[in-house]
Amino acid sequence: MSDKKILYQERLNRFITAMDVGKPDRVPIRLTLSEFLAKYAGYTLQEIYYQMDKNIECSNKFIQDFDVDTVPGPPSLWMGGIHDATGAKYLKFAGRELEKDKQFQFLESDYMKAEDYDDFIANPTKWILTTLLPRIHTEFKDPYRAHLSLIKGAAGMVMNQGMLAEAGKRWAEEYGIFPPFSGMSKAPFDTLGDVLRGLHGIMMDMHLCPDKLLAALDVLVDHNIYYGMATAAGDTTLPLFMPLHRGSYPFLNPEQWDKFYWPTLKKVIEGLWKHGKRTLFYAEGDWTPYLEKIAELPDKSIVFHVDMTDMKKAKEILGGRFCLSGNVPNTLLTYGTPEEVSDYCKKLIDEVACDGGFIMDAGGVVQWDAKVENVRAMIETTLEYGVY
Amino acid sequence: MANQIDGLKDALVGLDMYKVLDKVKAGLDAGVAPMDMVKDLQAGMVEIGDRFARGEYFLSELIMSGEIMKKAMALLEPKLAGVDQEYKGNIVIGTVQGDIHDLGKNIVAMLLKGAGYNVIDLGVDVPAEKFIDAVKENQAPLLAMSVLLTGCQDPMRDIIKAVRDAGLDVKVLIGGNYVDEKVKEYCGADYFGTTADDGVKVAKQVFGA
Repeated sequence: MSDKKILYQERLNRFITAMDVGKPDRVPIRLTLSEFLAKYAGYTLQEIYYQMDKNIECSNKFIQDFDVDTVPGPPSLWMGGIHDATGAKYLKFAGRELEKDKQFQFLESDYMKAEDYDDFIANPTKWILTTLLPRIHTEFKDPYRAHLSLIKGAAGMVMNQGMLAEAGKRWAEEYGIFPPFSGMSKAPFDTLGDVLRGLHGIMMDMHLCPDKLLAALDVLVDHNIYYGMATAAGDTTLPLFMPLHRGSYPFLNPEQWDKFYWPTLKKVIEGLWKHGKRTLFYAEGDWTPYLEKIAELPDKSIVFHVDMTDMKKAKEILGGRFCLSGNVPNTLLTYGTPEEVSDYCKKLIDEVACDGGFIMDAGGVVQWDAKVENVRAMIETTLEYGVY
Repeated sequence: MANQIDGLKDALVGLDMYKVLDKVKAGLDAGVAPMDMVKDLQAGMVEIGDRFARGEYFLSELIMSGEIMKKAMALLEPKLAGVDQEYKGNIVIGTVQGDIHDLGKNIVAMLLKGAGYNVIDLGVDVPAEKFIDAVKENQAPLLAMSVLLTGCQDPMRDIIKAVRDAGLDVKVLIGGNYVDEKVKEYCGADYFGTTADDGVKVAKQVFGA
């Protein structure tokens, strides 16, 4: 085996051991860096949203310079060109609607109306294709342009996925490094609440048409399990990325959380786990009041990621049964000093990582504003102080 | 006459949209002064804000009540022309340049209105000049700025500097999920808030009412 292959295996084992709530040789590092990587590599945000080779190059540069266990990034989740091809009304990109160094923006709205529930429930895919897509893309004004835009968009998507797959191979072979997750999915409530009904819409639905909302959430369970497995191309070694939004405190009252948010999310996670697929429960915001419920999940079926959840309580309630990750505050990475960052990481290692089952990461996705010296302090502290 | 709108406040606090709208319509038909109904609804919003502060209500209730309020005001506003409202004071609010998130800002603005302040809402992606002009024009003692992402906090610092440089006698409140003492110091704000009812708490301090 080549040195890089050995290194790859060592890093992967460290990561898997921690996810299985064991104690590896040291605390693994998974950095969820987004636009930060562009700044580090010296590209504008316009460049990484629109030129996928530069987007990938950002991750290359970072892993050449830093000793981390998994690939951070690439920084842009998006390929601006795909959305331009279809005329997406819901996204704004640097260099198009925004200045060249402004972060992309998602325009939330009730793109799905309350009247659409029946059609959505009857056949969500058909409804999306025939009703939603024309509503949210300017190129759908006539069928001729709509067809062309879909062909262009799909071709762009395939090219981007191919480039990412190539990059993944190179990262493994040349740097001995693996991606932190494979595939993604969402909580059904977030599928509806983030993108389709929007926050205001779904909040009204809980009061005005709860039965339709529940039926729509049910329809999404199988879809979201399938979507997760499909986007992971069947891989079950790495966890699935699941960013969780509207279930954080204090969006919903406890009855709403129990009735609308949790049951279908639980089904999706359990459904994935039946396929052997673990979920990275990326709990954005504060989830402290719901920890007891989350503890109902099968052992090891998730990695519980802490943003602003009370870490002590998370450890108390979930520790030993689930791997924990995250919690280095993003504001600290932006406004703090390397010493403060280092102290915070040491505290996490002493108090949380002590029994194993912990992955070092920031609380939220690290944006454009984080200081390089603080990210470096996080990595170096973990490498030195995180040895078991 | 007051019978028509008995229970209007409670209907809003109970988030019963149809009841609120029926009562407002019945009140208007019966010739109840629209301002009296607005006052009842505002009292309801204050109660809703208090319940949130006590942990009894969540964002879902705040958002739902905001939507009901919007619908009720759509019925009432045409009838309010020419009626002078009394306010506790003027507050300018907006989401800073570069950021378009308005969920938090809208909730804070709604609770401030409910508490009896005149809220001048500049919307999202608001540049420094627009904040400064609005503070000057309205002689507002409080300027509230909202921001979600840490990456959008720098413009907030620039705006606060511009406000200070313009010599305006105004307190600055910043708010958002990722705002804390550190961000407040960095930006040079007077107050920071992270939760829905913080805005009203700060306004009470600034206006003494």
